[in-house]
Amino acid sequence: MTGSLLAVRGLEYVYPGGVVALRGLDLNIEHGRKLAILGPNGSGKTTLLLHLNGTFQPTGGEILLDGRPAGYDRRSLNQWRRRVGLVLQEPDDQLFAATVEQDVSFGPLNLGLSEAETRKRVGEALEALRIAPLAARATHTLSFGQKKRVAIAGILAMRPEILVLDEPTAGLDPHGVTHLLGALQQLHETGTTLVFSTHDAELAYAWADRVAVFHDGMVLCQGETAAVLGDREVMRRARLRPPLLLELAQLLGESETGGERRSLPRSREALLARLRERLATADGRDGPVSAHRPRRAAE
Amino acid sequence: MRAIDHYAWTNRWRGRHPAEKLLPAFGLLLLTLILPPPTTGPLVLATVALTLAYGAAVPLRALLAVLAAPAAFLLFGAPFLAVSVNFSDGPGLHLSPEGLRLARDTGIRALAAVSCLAFLTLTTPLADWAPLLRRAGIPAGVVELILLIYRLIFVFAERALTGRRAQVARLGYSRIDRGVRSTGLLAGNLFQRALEQARRLEIGLAARGYSGELRVLSPEQPLSWLRLAAGMALVALIGVASGLLARGLS
Repeated sequence: MTGSLLAVRGLEYVYPGGVVALRGLDLNIEHGRKLAILGPNGSGKTTLLLHLNGTFQPTGGEILLDGRPAGYDRRSLNQWRRRVGLVLQEPDDQLFAATVEQDVSFGPLNLGLSEAETRKRVGEALEALRIAPLAARATHTLSFGQKKRVAIAGILAMRPEILVLDEPTAGLDPHGVTHLLGALQQLHETGTTLVFSTHDAELAYAWADRVAVFHDGMVLCQGETAAVLGDREVMRRARLRPPLLLELAQLLGESETGGERRSLPRSREALLARLRERLATADGRDGPVSAHRPRRAAE
Repeated sequence: MRAIDHYAWTNRWRGRHPAEKLLPAFGLLLLTLILPPPTTGPLVLATVALTLAYGAAVPLRALLAVLAAPAAFLLFGAPFLAVSVNFSDGPGLHLSPEGLRLARDTGIRALAAVSCLAFLTLTTPLADWAPLLRRAGIPAGVVELILLIYRLIFVFAERALTGRRAQVARLGYSRIDRGVRSTGLLAGNLFQRALEQARRLEIGLAARGYSGELRVLSPEQPLSWLRLAAGMALVALIGVASGLLARGLS
């Protein structure tokens, strides 16, 4: 627990209307990790994320920043939000300024940075998400995927230690997802801790190194990605399906080589390569599996 | 409106300091208001159309679209200036030479004046006016509100459009009474969503350290005195030409 940058202890939240959203959950966010919060729609993921930067104040339990309970006065909140950046799911809920550059400049200026420093940070943030050419564009003329990246850049320009993203890939096409994940990976490599919510087990498997499975306002299980996602009982209880990649990889019998869990293929390319390799060796070992192919070619 | 906004953001002069566009445009407006319209009006209209087309690369079509509404209004309104009601030999309507002249002058003058403003709206997006408004002494809160409304207009216009499409798809406008009902439902829905949007925007802004002031970087548009001087020289030239022409005509 020493590495916990942000920790959630027995968090409970009841909406003013009386709807119970979170029922006593624990979560550790460790430095330098990529944590996926995996759960079906309506399981309370967004409510949890809104606690991570102090937007909501828990009705029970507490949130620890560096091991100390977080405060909810203005000063503490400012400090907190400087360190934990939250990107909402819907970019239109976040973008308010007329141009991309202006919108991204909002956060850094609120940190009290000078105009020159702000300009520098805006440039860097746009560069990191590969949208620098959009700087002078009007916010309302952007596509959904572009807006999403601008929203992330707006938080990024504040250089948070932890970047919390609510459903970052929702509504993006496969190309947009690849693009976004590439940019996030780069951020991660420069030391940013990432937390994201998703209902997509495939995404969690491909991308996170830790997963917390979320169901009905509670964390069912938290731990190393392949171990958590491979736990059928947990996945069934959370009404989620284990990732196809993981199931295929397990079928491939990777586990029998012993102690090689880490080498389970994590992307479709890796899995396909492994499959080809396996087929090729099978070919050599016992002919019948695919031996008919060359024979047919010879006919 | 979409078209105006599009050109405002994409025209060739978009990056220029707003004062370089504002002062010459006001200069032209002043000429239109003080000099005799028959010569000044056409000259100003031509100047605006040509600078838009060849300077800012805004097609004539866009200018015509902006001028269409006021022109239609003038088309219906101006003729009434030409006729006068006369009771001297029984009640009757009369066309008088002065009336005709008045109608013509008013029409040309109004159209030329509107074209000056059209020049501004077609070359400068609202966002670029903010620093000027602040410098003119408009309270920061009001300027922020203007900018926020500008941004949200597009968000809600989009929602209204998709909402209407969804209603049309379910035959919500197949009869007049249904149409009225659907419009009412849509309006109510938009109102509710506006409130939700405001709440979520507040969360989004708070996450970025919002503390009551929507401060953002001003666009970097250095003022070119040379270009401003050239613009004002053009205005002076039009003024002189118009004066000379007017004297020649009379």
